[in-house]
Amino acid sequence: MSKLRKYTPFTRAGIMESVTYRANFLFFLLGEIMKCFVMFFVWKAVFDSSSGETLFGFSYDNMVVYLFISFLSGYITYSDGSYAIGKEILDGSVVMRMIKPIDFDMCFLFQELGNKIISFSLIFLPITAGVEIYRFVINGRLMLDIPMLLLFLVSMVLAYGINFYFNLSYGFLAFFLKNLWGTDIIKGAVVDFLSGATIPLAFMGGFGYVLQFLPFASLSYTPVMIYMGMYGAKKIIFYLGLQVFWLVIFALISKLVLKLAMKRLVVHGG
Amino acid sequence: MENNSMIHVENLQKHFKKAIKEPGLKGSIKALFNPKYDVVKAVDGISFDVEAGEIIGFIGPNGAGKSTVIKMLTGILTPSEGFCRINGHIPTENRKAYVKEIGVVFGQRTQLWWDLALRETYMVLKEIYDVSDEDYEKRMAFLNEVLDLEDFITSPVRTLSLGQRMRADIAAALLHNPKVLFLDEPTVGLDVVAKDNIRKAIQLINKESGTTVILTTHDLEDIELLCKRIVMVDKGKKVFDGELSTLRQQYGQMRELTFELNKEADMEKLTYDQKFNFAEDDLKLETKGNEVKVRFNTDIASVEEMLSFTLSKVHVKDISVKDADIEEIIRRLYKGGGEAV
Amino acid sequence: MRKYFKLHRIFIAQDLKKLMEYKVDFLMGAIGFVLVQAVKILTLGIIFASIPALAYKVNGQVVDSWTFNEVLFIYGFSLIPKGIDHLLFDNLWGMGYWVVAKGDFDKYLTRPVNSWFYVLTEKFCVDAFGDLFVGIVLVVYSVLSMPADIAANINWFRLIPVAFVIPFAVMIYTSVKTATAAISFWTKRSGHITHMCYMTNEFASYPAKIYNNVVKTIITYILPFALTAYYPAIYLLRGESVWSLPVTIGVSAVLFFISQLVWKLGEKAYESAGS
Repeated sequence: MSKLRKYTPFTRAGIMESVTYRANFLFFLLGEIMKCFVMFFVWKAVFDSSSGETLFGFSYDNMVVYLFISFLSGYITYSDGSYAIGKEILDGSVVMRMIKPIDFDMCFLFQELGNKIISFSLIFLPITAGVEIYRFVINGRLMLDIPMLLLFLVSMVLAYGINFYFNLSYGFLAFFLKNLWGTDIIKGAVVDFLSGATIPLAFMGGFGYVLQFLPFASLSYTPVMIYMGMYGAKKIIFYLGLQVFWLVIFALISKLVLKLAMKRLVVHGG
Repeated sequence: MENNSMIHVENLQKHFKKAIKEPGLKGSIKALFNPKYDVVKAVDGISFDVEAGEIIGFIGPNGAGKSTVIKMLTGILTPSEGFCRINGHIPTENRKAYVKEIGVVFGQRTQLWWDLALRETYMVLKEIYDVSDEDYEKRMAFLNEVLDLEDFITSPVRTLSLGQRMRADIAAALLHNPKVLFLDEPTVGLDVVAKDNIRKAIQLINKESGTTVILTTHDLEDIELLCKRIVMVDKGKKVFDGELSTLRQQYGQMRELTFELNKEADMEKLTYDQKFNFAEDDLKLETKGNEVKVRFNTDIASVEEMLSFTLSKVHVKDISVKDADIEEIIRRLYKGGGEAV
Repeated sequence: MRKYFKLHRIFIAQDLKKLMEYKVDFLMGAIGFVLVQAVKILTLGIIFASIPALAYKVNGQVVDSWTFNEVLFIYGFSLIPKGIDHLLFDNLWGMGYWVVAKGDFDKYLTRPVNSWFYVLTEKFCVDAFGDLFVGIVLVVYSVLSMPADIAANINWFRLIPVAFVIPFAVMIYTSVKTATAAISFWTKRSGHITHMCYMTNEFASYPAKIYNNVVKTIITYILPFALTAYYPAIYLLRGESVWSLPVTIGVSAVLFFISQLVWKLGEKAYESAGS
């Protein structure tokens, strides 16, 4: 524990940064959540156009919950280490981090945790409250399930971990790719689709079924399905286990890529 | 009252609202819910006149309001109070017509386009300032001669050295043959040779084209070589306006003696204030180990007297005498002006 | 005016040159933009696979409906004015994010040109070719693959008024960006406000009828992005909403006027940076 203590200043800095730019963050969020509202209406028209009450096991209300909760979890588990690290690698300032007696990835992790504490406290309550009020009005009773909510939080933490190490590995690739924002956009588009952030994997048939086992689903689909109560006890245990598995895998991959990248850096330096 | 000077500044003022922030996490959270503001008078009633063809040095310590004045004179900032008139124009009233008659260089940041080759930069400026082909050729030939642009005119701006970039920036500001040239720290960060080049160029431009030049700087040498007259500001107010030699006579009697003692304990033998009767402001002693710095007023004791007294009392290495720097003069000037601190 | 075109030409040539220099970056960026759109279209495709057409119902009665081709057409069309604005006037984003905050706006004020035009001309954003490419491909593809009965509604003479309106549609984008970027003159940074308002254009890519009245009013008159996409597209497809063409011109003119006013006032309030 005392080993981790030296990273708390980074968390502090992350918190201060987020507080300073709180207004910016909220405006940005309002812009992003606009997409949810667009889809809110589009799905309404889609369900109106369909002959049945449900599509692939989703009712319209499910869909609305899915939209906003996947937005919420996507936002909170999002990690932009790849961009920050990539930028430092490209402009060379990464060296400043390497000459300090601290772990490179831990600095980022703890700083981002600071950001996350603030963004979580700003958006978690309004969005879940909004969703629960919506469900309450539609169903006439409170749908919130506290154990599921807790499992959802656990799953989100795991999703964040996977995201963090995935992005870290990806950021280290900047050593080799030399290009940042283009590949970042590509990565974003692919991950969004494969993780079920744009449309539930259940809509994708057999392909969607396979996707459930890939790491992308662990990023977004799993926590949302848990929140919605779509998974039974067995499935929950299975998918949480899968999340842990991917977390370990990506942590290892990131260490490996970092090692390779370091070798490369030495070759470059001078 | 009518006057025909090139630049006329009258009671110019600029006030900024500044958020008060307490340090630390608590402070930034507090500022979020209950922001407090202070009104800062960055420029607080400055007046002066500049005749056509003059080069004046506009000086003062950091944060004195120099840049704010320059930004008002160049039409970037709108004065809170008072006004300035340059060659018959009020800068913010008809900005586009006005800025055609001035050239501006900010030493700290370039106004050129990072990725454009220098020659293309000048083509863009030619369009922006409506310079005719004929005038452009003539002007470029002249600027090339004065600033020696030939070597790097095809290079993108981002590849230029600091000295080259400054020359390029000055040429860019002069392409349209402005009546007034504003130079905000044109020699900042340059080496001795580059500084020298820039100074010579400024002199030549002033002589050949009759351009009025307003120059801000921290480098006393810039002032000495270029300006006959200086205007000095501090805390938003004008504290001196006149010839450099006058300033020197009035306030620049300070010299600095630097040497190294053989023994640190010898310091006690140097009883300057008893020997010469210095007032508190006229003498300043600084020691760091064996190194000693003595600033003193030559009205009280001449350099010769100080030297011989020092050498008679102690054994020293590496003794040297220096003029007081501009900051020192400003500091004394401010006190001498009798303004409340 | 000719001066600005000349200036713009120099910077366009420059940015195209840069594109050649950084081919890989450009390619990656363009692929990225195309992929982002591809994912959205794929999503639309998946949705439409389970319904015959997108219907708008009132009290259980179908009032209007759009086939997949029509929705694709509207979606593709929406990318065209957006892409043109992105291509030509992208520099406005920088204003609210860093230009004003760092005091870099100084340089625009020391030149004898309109500062707004000057900011606009300085950058030619080649990434926008991705948007424009996808937009045009979608429009063409959706028309070609349309069932004959729906294609029969299209009258290509309607292209003339639509083409006339497109510059005004672009002006809607540019004016929204201008007005919100100018807020930074007072607040130092306003990029996130620009982002928030800009994102409203997401509503424009789908038939405006599916939204409730509040949203419909906002996207028609306040942040009138529907005028840049749904209305001209549906006019082209079916001859509906003729009224929207003059409204587009009127609303964009008002918006343009407001944005210029905010910019002018902001310029006076600009405080630069440092001492």
